[in-house]
Amino acid sequence: MSETLVEQAIPKARPAAAPFVACVLAWLVPGLGHVYLGRRDRGAVFFVVVLAMFVLGMGSGGAASLIEEKQPLTFLATFDNVAVGPIDLIGRYMTYGTIAYALPGSEGDPRRAQLLDRLRSRVRTVTYEYGNTFLLTAGLMNILLILDAFDIAKGRKD
Amino acid sequence: MIRSHLLNMVVFSALVAVFFAFLTQTGTRDRLRVILILGGSMVVLSLVLAYVMYPFPLR
Repeated sequence: MSETLVEQAIPKARPAAAPFVACVLAWLVPGLGHVYLGRRDRGAVFFVVVLAMFVLGMGSGGAASLIEEKQPLTFLATFDNVAVGPIDLIGRYMTYGTIAYALPGSEGDPRRAQLLDRLRSRVRTVTYEYGNTFLLTAGLMNILLILDAFDIAKGRKD
Repeated sequence: MIRSHLLNMVVFSALVAVFFAFLTQTGTRDRLRVILILGGSMVVLSLVLAYVMYPFPLR
């Protein structure tokens, strides 16, 4: 069957592209899922944009979120940070000097005091709120990229 | 890194606009249109909202 010019111009997904693989790649490196599916230009742009958001976020004093049981929204914020992929580990290390995902519940826990001290030093930064906005947006963007890669691999989207 | 409120807003708007342009459009012309409309509206509407909020006291 002959294709129209428009159909020829749209890059095709890899014939045996597995949606799961595309999603995992998209999480590992922002845009890599699209590169895997044959959308190299879009993948490169997504990589640059999400990475720029992350770098600006950390550079502006943003902080990776920690789960705190008494504050349910911290679950969402931490999930959003993790969604940006393994580069979140860099963000956590820059924020807390260690890889931590949850704040210890006990008030007297020295590790809790240590994490909060590191967090407070970033909160004092003038651009802390901007940094957090950039960081959270980077995570949200990567969630959209993972879903988009899934749709493309499933053939629901070009 | 960027200490200017305005510059932060413009950079944020530009990145979001580019992201959605490439996510939702395929043609160069369509992408450019989305970047201009989305990025422009984010900046302009934020400035309008800021002026509307200006008379209200903080406390």
